[in-house]
Amino acid sequence: MPAAISAEEDLADVNRVLAGEVQAFEGIVRRWQGPLVNMAWRYCRDRGRAEEMAQEAFLRAWRGLAGWRRESSFSTWLFALAANVFRSELQRFPVVNVPLEDAAEPSGPATQHEGLARKLSDESVRRAVLALPRRYREPVVLYYFHEMDVAAASRTMKLPEGTVKARLARGREMLKKRFPQLGEEGSMPLKLALEQKKEITQ
Amino acid sequence: MKRNLNSRTDENAIDAILAGEGELIPSSGFLAATMERVREEASVPKPIPFPWLRSLPGLVLVAAVLGWCGFEVVRVALAHPEEISFAKMHVAAANWTALGPAGWVALALGISLLSWLLSRKLAGGSGLL
Repeated sequence: MPAAISAEEDLADVNRVLAGEVQAFEGIVRRWQGPLVNMAWRYCRDRGRAEEMAQEAFLRAWRGLAGWRRESSFSTWLFALAANVFRSELQRFPVVNVPLEDAAEPSGPATQHEGLARKLSDESVRRAVLALPRRYREPVVLYYFHEMDVAAASRTMKLPEGTVKARLARGREMLKKRFPQLGEEGSMPLKLALEQKKEITQ
Repeated sequence: MKRNLNSRTDENAIDAILAGEGELIPSSGFLAATMERVREEASVPKPIPFPWLRSLPGLVLVAAVLGWCGFEVVRVALAHPEEISFAKMHVAAANWTALGPAGWVALALGISLLSWLLSRKLAGGSGLL
């Protein structure tokens, strides 16, 4: 995860790249490929496209490495650059989406295939995020990508925290309206979901 | 600062679903493919920057000539305002013979264009435009 990645290693690799050692960029790609591909995936939910967009982001980072002013951390700079790349890529070739009101209904829990039903239901909610209007979509995508950290999401979007919070609240409100049936009784608690995520990551 | 996620018990299902998404692992060739593109990019020679310093005298000269022309136009206009008339700008058919030197001007412009295109080609297509 981004937090675990060493800032010193990034700094050392950046200095080596700027000194003309192209190979040192491999260290940066190795450390950040996971976060960037995952971030791109949340923007488009298409694996092939996510990798293409992440690759483009790395190339832009390579070209603009001298422009990192080191006032912010390397990760903040890289995520902001990647968000710009993903945003412009998706403007050029938008993801084909159904309107939010037409997003698939999550299926009810079936007794025999409860796990599968839950997976499908979760995926329909995640896909519905892409159907949100753009100004609300990105805060939602980045807030959950940054493990529910508004400050990190606002740094990535280069927007004030208040604006991000307001847009996030509106985006979540729209999702809640779209999926009113996802009440407390049928939902997976957040704690459990995060534990599952940890297991998947490990 | 990150929130303590485990302390949050009042989160709704949407939060749980969006926060609980598993990590995608990049494909095995991703790193190699990305580095291949980076190396390709690194091997391309940097474009030659436009020689602003060398062109500075020329640019100053052009600016001076244009400024002088503008100054002259304003000076003549102020000295003889009655002679400035849009009606006189109409070129009568009989006056076309007076446009003989236009051919030379067109030729000069053509040669300038060709030399500019040639210099751009020699410089590898980079530069000002």
